[in-house]
Amino acid sequence: MKIKIELFGAARDFSEEDYLELNISENITIKEVRTNLMNYIQNKYPDNVNYLEIVKNSAFANDQDVIVQDNYKLSKEKKLCIIPPVGGG
Amino acid sequence: MFHGKVIDTSKETISLDKAQKFIESQQCGASLFFIGTVRNHNNNKQVTGITYDTHDSIVEKSFKEISDEAISTITAEHPIIFIEHAKGYLPLGGISIVIAVAAKHRGQVYDLSRFIIEEIKKRTPIWKKEHYNNEETTWLEGTPVIDK
Repeated sequence: MKIKIELFGAARDFSEEDYLELNISENITIKEVRTNLMNYIQNKYPDNVNYLEIVKNSAFANDQDVIVQDNYKLSKEKKLCIIPPVGGG
Repeated sequence: MFHGKVIDTSKETISLDKAQKFIESQQCGASLFFIGTVRNHNNNKQVTGITYDTHDSIVEKSFKEISDEAISTITAEHPIIFIEHAKGYLPLGGISIVIAVAAKHRGQVYDLSRFIIEEIKKRTPIWKKEHYNNEETTWLEGTPVIDK
């Protein structure tokens, strides 16, 4: 299935759009989404270790706008948001 | 009482008057404003402005959670909290955040204000992209919000 990942902060540089789409299996965990996204980044930007670091250190928010951890299993979500390391103020 | 909002700088600006009016109360003997502004240097670079990116709904939810935690941790009496954070481009001197608090005593407002800004920096989904003289830009490194 296709999932839309909305991009924020430094992750906005991953695409000219404000999102990207990944093909993933159903019922996978956030940890597996992260691995899928890292593979996508490695294919698209093979020399960019910074982008991989961003994905490695990012959290994800589900479609209820709740930040979820690596063991969270996707059910009906069609959309996630990537939450890179934060630093407002 | 609580107010927390993301302000889109292309449409409006953060208003200190609005904050002042919100926190006015005859029950409170102390009020305090924390104002964050864009400064002209960082990491030995000349900064010309900052673009703030935010996940608006999580930010506003986070402001409320942090405020509730601050009130219960500090046991502030008659607390009033007003938080606004900018989204979009701000030039040097632009106001990025206002945390205006009022409570019964001065110690409570100092503690509330400090608690709130430190927690926002640690866990609220806001990001900064600095702009420099040579038209380069950099997303600043931040604090991961994932469990490791």
